[in-house]
Amino acid sequence: MAALGGASVLRTPRHAANDVVDAVVIGTGAGGAPLAARLAQAGLSVVALEAGRAFRPDEHVADEVAADIYWMEERLSGGSTPTAFGSNNSGMGVGGSTLHWGAFCPRPDARDLRLKTLTGEGADWPIAHAELVRYIAEVEQDTGVSGPADYPWDPGRRYAYPPVARNASADAMARGCEAVGITATDAPAALVSRDRDQPHWGQRQACVNCGTCHQGCRNAAKTSMDTTYLPVAVAHGAEIRAGARVVSFAFDGSGRINAVVYHQDGEERRQRCAAVFLCAGGVETPRLLLNLGIANSSGQVGRNFMAHVATQVWGRFDAEMRMNRGYPSSLISEDMMRPGDAGCAGGYLIQSLGVLPVNLATGLARGAGLWGERLQTILRGYNRMAGIGINGECLPHADNRLTLADEVDGFGHRKARIDFSYHANEQAIDRHARRTLTDIWAAAGAQDIFAVDRSAHTIGTCRMGHDGDAAVVDPDGRSFDVPNLLICDNSVFPSALAANPALTIMALSLRTADRFLASRF
Amino acid sequence: MPGPTLVFLHALGASAREWRQVVDALPDHDCVALDLPGFGDAADAGQADVETLTDWLADEIRSRDLTACVLVGHSMGGKIVTLVAARAAAGEIGLSGVLGVVLVAASPPAPEPMDEDRRAEMIGWFADGQIACEDAATFVDANTATPLTGSFRDHAIDDVLRSSRDAWVGWLERGSREDWSADAGRISIPALILAGAEDGDLGEDAQRRLNLPHYATAVVKTVEGAAHLIPYEQPQRLAALICDHATAVAHAMLPQDFARLLGSDRVSHRTRGVMLDRMRPPPARAAIWTDEHSTTVASLVAQILPDCGTDRDLADRILAGIAEGTGDGWRFAVLPPDAEAWERGLATLNAATGGFFMLAPDAQSEWLDRIASGAVGIEEDEAHLSPAQMTLWFEDVRAETVRVWISLPSTMAAIGYDGFAVGGDGRRKQGYTCTGAGDREAWQPSAERRS
Repeated sequence: MAALGGASVLRTPRHAANDVVDAVVIGTGAGGAPLAARLAQAGLSVVALEAGRAFRPDEHVADEVAADIYWMEERLSGGSTPTAFGSNNSGMGVGGSTLHWGAFCPRPDARDLRLKTLTGEGADWPIAHAELVRYIAEVEQDTGVSGPADYPWDPGRRYAYPPVARNASADAMARGCEAVGITATDAPAALVSRDRDQPHWGQRQACVNCGTCHQGCRNAAKTSMDTTYLPVAVAHGAEIRAGARVVSFAFDGSGRINAVVYHQDGEERRQRCAAVFLCAGGVETPRLLLNLGIANSSGQVGRNFMAHVATQVWGRFDAEMRMNRGYPSSLISEDMMRPGDAGCAGGYLIQSLGVLPVNLATGLARGAGLWGERLQTILRGYNRMAGIGINGECLPHADNRLTLADEVDGFGHRKARIDFSYHANEQAIDRHARRTLTDIWAAAGAQDIFAVDRSAHTIGTCRMGHDGDAAVVDPDGRSFDVPNLLICDNSVFPSALAANPALTIMALSLRTADRFLASRF
Repeated sequence: MPGPTLVFLHALGASAREWRQVVDALPDHDCVALDLPGFGDAADAGQADVETLTDWLADEIRSRDLTACVLVGHSMGGKIVTLVAARAAAGEIGLSGVLGVVLVAASPPAPEPMDEDRRAEMIGWFADGQIACEDAATFVDANTATPLTGSFRDHAIDDVLRSSRDAWVGWLERGSREDWSADAGRISIPALILAGAEDGDLGEDAQRRLNLPHYATAVVKTVEGAAHLIPYEQPQRLAALICDHATAVAHAMLPQDFARLLGSDRVSHRTRGVMLDRMRPPPARAAIWTDEHSTTVASLVAQILPDCGTDRDLADRILAGIAEGTGDGWRFAVLPPDAEAWERGLATLNAATGGFFMLAPDAQSEWLDRIASGAVGIEEDEAHLSPAQMTLWFEDVRAETVRVWISLPSTMAAIGYDGFAVGGDGRRKQGYTCTGAGDREAWQPSAERRS
């Protein structure tokens, strides 16, 4: 068996600034990496620009404060339920947010893509569920997913690897769910529970239950773009430039982008190109477009910001749970995808939680409004705490949007301001979830049960749709305004989907590449 | 818990014996005085170069399982101590117990300043393989402010006489000349740097110039009535200074089983390094913070985490992070940038309460309840925060306080957290084999067992 892989995705430059490359990809996360691989495999010349640095997996640090894989440039958070950024959301580094994502990868529910049709609320996707799922299956195949042999909510589904070990939170959730009549099973996890030889990269080692997925996987068990799709891209001639921060575009007389301008090593550089794929995530993508004043004839850039309702319920157990052990979200329930009595459109997924001490402490101090004896007692009892949480549908609302603040960053770009407030739908999901999770936790034997307010993920700020007046990109991800600009990340999602976004982003990425290639030849 | 073990490294031509009076004056400490290879009882080991000596000291620390120690290095021994401290601070395996450094007229990582004629003369003493008794006496007397008396002078001379020729010449020709300053870098372990008031080349000026820049937190002190052989010349004074430093760094001591785990191969050097950095003293207070700021934040700490009391150290760590402005990737849109928000928040708190830190704890608690409910603040004032802003700022204060506190290794030890010890630098990461409730693996320390 080969040693732990680690072929660097950074190679000597392959393209000169004046070469007109077929595609420049901005961002190397779930949105940019799969399409970079597919375009390169199709023979296109590809340059991918990444703002962060490149990591070897074992450079990651098993420490919440020192982990350096998050997008830490300041964002301003407003509204009545401001959402947290930093380690909670975007990533920085070759691999983007997949460096730190939780790898919890349920597939999107078919009903969620037709939310408007079925409920009159939110928006429909301009893509059929069956088509999206074909791409999702392909991503699962390409990257290796562990999951249960039988998935109760989708009997035909199969996963390549057996599920990872359940941790104490998962065992408690299984116990509680059974007692209250909710179906739960091992969660689909984008990691390998057996050693895997990843093409063009090397050995990804089986998950060792270390519990530090969010600090970066040190043995490449977890699916991350730097150990999966990016090596494929590089093997097929793509060039990845790390520490390359895109600041603007140059246009030709016909309104097409003809070069991407970026900062690297303290100087301004440019790369001429025929097409641009903007894959910088739900905050940086709209922020760049707004700063440059482009691709926004619809006025929709920055609008429809959605963050999943991510309420958590915590409790103390008699036994030592030590929830930092094991894959954090090792149990799932999709039973609440349509909670009939909740008064909301869509629904929510339930997952078991294993969080590390800093995350728990700041969550309690912020989301549960705790301080003093009670906070101290809970934190000292860390080893006996365990939680469950949800990922719930969020509808687009007119006042939830990303705009530009007056303050500027180190590149002279105005900072993002994101206003986010729960409305009736999100409040209904939160209420229903608190009740359900509390019942599960009480049945599981938890004591001193309490809830923590939390929202997660950055979705919807460059919506895709059929109508250029109401959407930023068409169903293929192409800008209605700039013909050779395509967007692929969670910003194009028309609705939030209850499923965590990364798997869908990767699937969209492959699809975006296919549609682009089809239009080109 | 007893204090950290004191590990002593002697000078060129000396031996562990040079520390005898110092060790006698430190009856409450575990002391380990070592013979460097080529000297004292280890004279037969012959010459060892700087790298070998550094490896040797690191191995001594590991093999003695020192989970809390202060390294004391005299002259030649000081260079070795600094280089091991650098490796410890960078997170090298098995060295996480190095809590402090005392340099005694220490040779620096850079080439040691030495008059070339003197160097040649000293090398010449060993030209025929064995130094003459009068040359050894000359050496000892030249390094003291006033000649040593009685048996101490005899010991010092005897140690020179029994030194290995290769070790003596090797140090003078190569070891003292090698430049290791880039490897030493800037070390986070707190140091006490001592100079003999009447020393020559390694006096206070050289210490400030060549050793001080390598330590992030260090003080330089001069020992009166001494030249270079301070352990012989001023043993009582030296022992008192070492004792003070050991006491000052003892707050960073971790429970032994936790310290052992942190030093083990289950932890990567990078993880170990960042955790050890948090055990060091907080950086010097930034110019924007006053004593009142620090006192007020300490009072807030006592309210948010009552067990901590008014922990000034924690308060200063929090304020240092805010002043540094590294941030956590976001802030509330209605608040100004973090440092300004904290300045204005603290000003508002003290204005509203007439001095928060002077109130009784119950009164402080009531004020915080009112702040959380949006009832305290000063509207439209550039030096203060409005009630709505105060509510959000207090949320930030809570989050920052618990974040800094719970990321301290001492807190991890106290709550029994071992999630940092899940994978070292080997090809396979260890992780956990047991993940169920109540299961424990043999390597896991138990907080309960300690308390």
